[in-house]
Amino acid sequence: MRHLLFVVLFAAGAAIAQKPAAAPEGPSAAPLPLSSTAERVYDYSKPRIVQIRTLLQAAGRQSSLGSGFVVSADGYAVTNYHVVSRFALDPRTYRLEYNAPDGTKGALQLLAIDVAHDLAVVKIDRPDLPFFTFDARALESRLPKGERIYAMGNPLDLGFTIIEGTYNGLVDKSYDERIHFSGAINPGMSGGPVTAADGRIVGVNVAKRVDGENVGFLVPARFAAALLERARKGPPLVVDKAREEVGRQLDGWQAAFYDALKAGGFRSTTIGPYRGLESSAPWVTCWASTNADQVPRPRTAVNTTRCTSATGIFVSDRILTGRIDLSYSYYKAIDLNAFQFAKELSQRSGVAGFDGRAGKRLTAQECRDDFVSTSRESKPPLLATWCMRAYREFEGLYDATLLVLTQDRDREALLAQLTMQGVSHANAVALGRRFLEAIEWQR
Amino acid sequence: MAAVMWIEVLARDGDVRARQRVDSEEARIGRAFDNDVVVDDPHVAPHHLRVSRGEDGHLVAEDLDTLNGLYAEHGAQRVKRLSLAGQPGLRIGRTILRVHDGAHAVAPEKPLTPPRAHARWDVGLTIALFLLILFLNWLNLTTEASANVVLLPMISLATALAAWTGLWAVLSRIFFGQAQFALHLRIAVTACIAIVLWDLLTETLSFSFAWRTIADHAALGAWAILGATCYAHLAAIGPRHMKVVVSVVMALVASGAAMQAVTKSELRETLGQRATLGDLRPPAFRMVPLATADEFFNEAAETRARVDRARTKEPPPGSPLGDFD
Repeated sequence: MRHLLFVVLFAAGAAIAQKPAAAPEGPSAAPLPLSSTAERVYDYSKPRIVQIRTLLQAAGRQSSLGSGFVVSADGYAVTNYHVVSRFALDPRTYRLEYNAPDGTKGALQLLAIDVAHDLAVVKIDRPDLPFFTFDARALESRLPKGERIYAMGNPLDLGFTIIEGTYNGLVDKSYDERIHFSGAINPGMSGGPVTAADGRIVGVNVAKRVDGENVGFLVPARFAAALLERARKGPPLVVDKAREEVGRQLDGWQAAFYDALKAGGFRSTTIGPYRGLESSAPWVTCWASTNADQVPRPRTAVNTTRCTSATGIFVSDRILTGRIDLSYSYYKAIDLNAFQFAKELSQRSGVAGFDGRAGKRLTAQECRDDFVSTSRESKPPLLATWCMRAYREFEGLYDATLLVLTQDRDREALLAQLTMQGVSHANAVALGRRFLEAIEWQR
Repeated sequence: MAAVMWIEVLARDGDVRARQRVDSEEARIGRAFDNDVVVDDPHVAPHHLRVSRGEDGHLVAEDLDTLNGLYAEHGAQRVKRLSLAGQPGLRIGRTILRVHDGAHAVAPEKPLTPPRAHARWDVGLTIALFLLILFLNWLNLTTEASANVVLLPMISLATALAAWTGLWAVLSRIFFGQAQFALHLRIAVTACIAIVLWDLLTETLSFSFAWRTIADHAALGAWAILGATCYAHLAAIGPRHMKVVVSVVMALVASGAAMQAVTKSELRETLGQRATLGDLRPPAFRMVPLATADEFFNEAAETRARVDRARTKEPPPGSPLGDFD
């Protein structure tokens, strides 16, 4: 099974003194060798990029670094939400600062956040910076696959860098819209701009996959344009209330996500002699595994199907949420008796799901068990366990898991588990119920 | 009936050091050699005490105007006269005496454990214990059997039993005079069987009623069994200050149980509940009617109320910060 890892791009390290930038000049549209295009794009972009630093208020030193880029004459700049998340969630402990390429530093004001798309708009207290404009083709998603695009930022605090890469369209089978960028994105570049050869914004650096090579992800430019619009028109973010805003956005995200899941439809899937529920949404991917080839020969045959949405919302350093997992394991005793089989199930059922530990961000898990029957004629009796834990900072958001074990046969059973992260109680119960009621005998 | 009284002089450890039969109506006690009972204690007067029969026929001790006086055996109050009708013990100087009337009732004869009876029980119980464990291990065996898996727990148990019994036998030898190894082994093996069965019972009930609280609190029962076991061992040794020793041991057991309960509840706050009911049994062991989905989700809403309450509390100190891995 593959492990999907959503890597956030942060780097902490010593600050490097910046040299004053050369005077900006718009790149010409004339075709030139690729390397000289990059040279011109960088020359054009350099005065428009900033490094965004989150400083620990008390120490006055950086605790995390990212990048950002200026998008208006009055100093509005776009970056990732995760670059400013520490400040947004804890404005008393942290403050924000920018480092302009000409060596100037200054305070930043946080104006708007979009947690779902991992974006934020900040304002630089200097009106004289040149700025980027958005690529019209990118706003309408008309960019051709294979076009050369240029990602910029300050990777690992090594200095501003330009990376030439390829636009590869939107990521398939993904709930969140993300541009697949074939180029090296590294920690510290988060929030940096990605432009076309003419220096217009195509997307925003956000993440990479560590199990592949040069697989980077960008937030499409239109979300940045939309957030900028919101920041201009809407009331500014009250920093002390940013946490409530994050909570509202997470709640909005999960409401839309579970609606989309419902709209995507469900289908019945066969697991041994049982049937269960499976999502038909294109962004839910399923994997199967078996222990048939295990050595020494197992005494219980196990066949597992596991489906996941692979969604991940970065909320804070400690919270990555917004994922659902749905798994079915069919167990059949080969030469175990009923007691031994029950023991095998006790050992196996404890493994899956999130761990129930309490922390700064989440409460400890609370559970409830019962024997349940959803219909006496066509469905097996079940042993069900429901567990929940709450997000301390966001009222009404929970992680929930439902573990179901069929109770109709001595030496075979279906172990089904549904795990939902960052979900409202109503949505969790609705999907949990659907999941529970879908478990039946194969007709 | 001839008036007979027995006067016992006790040693400091409480054993009877000397016992004197007195056939007259009156007995005199003191350090001088013209007494009926001579007591070698520098704090006792030459003529210290007279024991005679009162008007109701009961024995009465009377202080003969001595320096150090007369006390009841455990009394702190000096007395002039002491009725020995109910309580035969008295104290003069540093010496404890007991005066028994010939008419005093004695405890009935205790049945004697037949020779080797404990040893025979030991053999039976030990075989039963090991067969029980072997059987339970087999019921829990989900991989291929191996000598390691089967024998290791048995050997550790045998070692622990031997050590535990040996310890009590040594204590018994010191305080009772005999090791009574067979008796202590019988107690220990019985306790093991009780704990194994208790565990089995609570785990099964926990599944049968889908009620994890039973298994979660099963440890209290195990502590009670441990307490009873220690009591049985102590009763076999029969220490002189049984009450004190028993209360100390019981207090230790109770504080052990309380400590474990506190740790458990703290761990629950930090680690949360496990996501499974616990040890499962075959479906036939279910003893509660099946709930409907409505009932289940209504009950499950209680978990929401609980985590909502926990949300507003401070996170437990020293809790691991990793919320996702």
